[in-house]
Amino acid sequence: MGPNAGTCVVVGASSGIGLAVARRLAQSGRKVAMLARRERELMGQVATTNDVLGLQAAWGYVHDVADFAAVEPLFARIEQELGPVDEVHFVAGVMPDVAIDEFDLGKDRQQVEVNMLGCIAWGNAAARRFRERKRGCFVGVSSVAGDRGRVGRPVYNASKAGMDCYLEALRNRLWRHGVQVTTIRPGFVETPMTAGLRLKGAIPADKAAALILRARDRRKAVAYVPGKWWLIMTVIKLIPSFLFRRLSI
Amino acid sequence: MTDTPVISWRDEDVRGFGMAVGGRAQVLRPTTAEQVAAAFADARARGKAVALRGAGCSYGDAATNNGGLVLDLSHMNRLLDFDPATGVAVCEPGVTVRDLWRRSVAHGFWPRVVSGTMAVSMGGAAAMNIHGKNNFALGSFGECVRSFDLLTPRGELVHCTRASAPDLFHAAIGGFGMLGCMTRLEIETKRVHSGRLRVSAIVAKDIEHNLQILEDMRGEADYLVSWLDLHGKGAELGRGLMHRADQLRPGEDPDGLRFLDPTLQDVPPNLFGVVPKGWLWPGMWAAVHVGQVGLVNWLKFRAGFTEARNSPYLQTHGAFHFLLDYVPRWQWMTKPGGLIQFQPFVPKAEGARVLRAVIEKSQAAGHVPYLGVLKRHRPDPFLMTHAVDGYSLAMDFAVSARKSRRDSLWRLCQELAEIVLAAGGRFYYAKDATLLASSFPRVHGEGAVAAFRAQKAKWDPDRLLQTDLSRRLGV
Repeated sequence: MGPNAGTCVVVGASSGIGLAVARRLAQSGRKVAMLARRERELMGQVATTNDVLGLQAAWGYVHDVADFAAVEPLFARIEQELGPVDEVHFVAGVMPDVAIDEFDLGKDRQQVEVNMLGCIAWGNAAARRFRERKRGCFVGVSSVAGDRGRVGRPVYNASKAGMDCYLEALRNRLWRHGVQVTTIRPGFVETPMTAGLRLKGAIPADKAAALILRARDRRKAVAYVPGKWWLIMTVIKLIPSFLFRRLSI
Repeated sequence: MTDTPVISWRDEDVRGFGMAVGGRAQVLRPTTAEQVAAAFADARARGKAVALRGAGCSYGDAATNNGGLVLDLSHMNRLLDFDPATGVAVCEPGVTVRDLWRRSVAHGFWPRVVSGTMAVSMGGAAAMNIHGKNNFALGSFGECVRSFDLLTPRGELVHCTRASAPDLFHAAIGGFGMLGCMTRLEIETKRVHSGRLRVSAIVAKDIEHNLQILEDMRGEADYLVSWLDLHGKGAELGRGLMHRADQLRPGEDPDGLRFLDPTLQDVPPNLFGVVPKGWLWPGMWAAVHVGQVGLVNWLKFRAGFTEARNSPYLQTHGAFHFLLDYVPRWQWMTKPGGLIQFQPFVPKAEGARVLRAVIEKSQAAGHVPYLGVLKRHRPDPFLMTHAVDGYSLAMDFAVSARKSRRDSLWRLCQELAEIVLAAGGRFYYAKDATLLASSFPRVHGEGAVAAFRAQKAKWDPDRLLQTDLSRRLGV
């Protein structure tokens, strides 16, 4: 089995960036396990993917990433049904609307569970296997939102920062074993999650998927998607706290 | 006890898409069926007639009500459900074709019937029973409506399907908003096996050649539409460029999956990637006002030869269907007079003779349409149908701000209508602006008009629902 030839897992594949990544992987001839919580949407997308390609390239697995105990057995089941997995994309994420004066632990907890702990559960399950096999690639889709704590969505920022830091540690642990871990920090992307936000200059999800797979191919540690966000976030990270707290960004 | 909410109608200028007809009206934008019912009650109390209006894309006076009340349903625009297994959408009337395809295409479905602009609303599309470039194959918009809830002027909410209320179902679709307000519609879409279509361009040397291509291809093509340069005369009368588009089969388009991303379907906002298309209409305005429309048409016709040589090619569904959205606000090129569209529907046997006569007569009268679009149609089961087993030719006329010139255009259209009606032809109220009341029974037949008036008397006996169109036709 050559590089990038085994089964791919895309967690969060029923819409948005995850769906676009799954489609590009399926189009390139890979076997893709598509995972998502919403059964109707997921199974519809699996059926559409196979219909358009005229062959079976996608398999659907209903999965709630906050159900951490289900991750290990599901990983094993996918490998049993589709063959060894050598590529995992963690793209699941939630970003509930949060009012500027709202401090709701329920929403906060959901974001930490899905965005951060979900990534950790899948990262750990992949790491155990990839480390042993001395090959594999784990791509975590974080966000530019993890680069600074901001007034709008404190726990979205925190969950993405936690995920991002975990991915760096995972990369450092695994690179000496020949395993690639790539962190993706998307900026504005047109997806159902961002549909109500009217983001100026947002790129299509398909474009984001193309850039994510390019970062994978170039074995990048961290990639901003699109690349201009590296510059934007470098500037934002340089703003001192006493100034940043006065801004509304 | 609750207070009766005060309904505040806003005084606005309400025009057809072509800007040539319309006038001041009191407008309300409800967001729920309850608000529509309250508005009906309020209108009744004021003793004023109400017009229903969707996205305002009817060219003429189908959604205007000079001096009356207008219920603009564009804010009732929630897409309530889309079933990714069946492709059936449940939506409020203000949901647009764009809202629908953006949702459906992501799941591998495309609306069965779409217009040349994606701005039209579901309520408007059903009430006017719009058609697309596949009318000859899949029929009109009404044929993909599975059910709707109709709120009648007396406040009853009637759930209509083909089986549960066949008469009302077939009268309200295509009934130009005369029987009630559709507050919720169930719309079927169709499976597509790629985000793209295979498109071919064919140069047609005259009107007969165009009709021949339509006949030759209608058995196998999915979409057929011809752009006509109506400035061509003699042997080149009715010359144009036919576009045929076909669905792709599963596995046929290796890149078809990623084009299901709705963002890749949208019409590009810039010309050559840099010039915002919103800035193009002043250039087109200049072409209209210095009398160079003939030259623009000729250049487009010549460019058709190159396109024909380079076809077939693959194009997204959005880019193929929504030609009218390529240049935002293009209708402004006809300011200040605006535009009207004259679209006769002619039975197949009379097609060549009648269309030739219509084009020749408008050229002789000095009113040459700046745009002509030819399509193939098939009959449908709706009471106020405009469809025939034959052809339609949509002709866009710029309206002069000069009254004498405007009046002569109206007279011309009425004379052209005589030719069409004598041949058993029909008209379409989403486009019409000039038809006379005496022509109304001749379009549909005395029997159909009597049946429609009976439905009107049953569901809206006080004639609360009226538009400038319904008064002009004496509905």
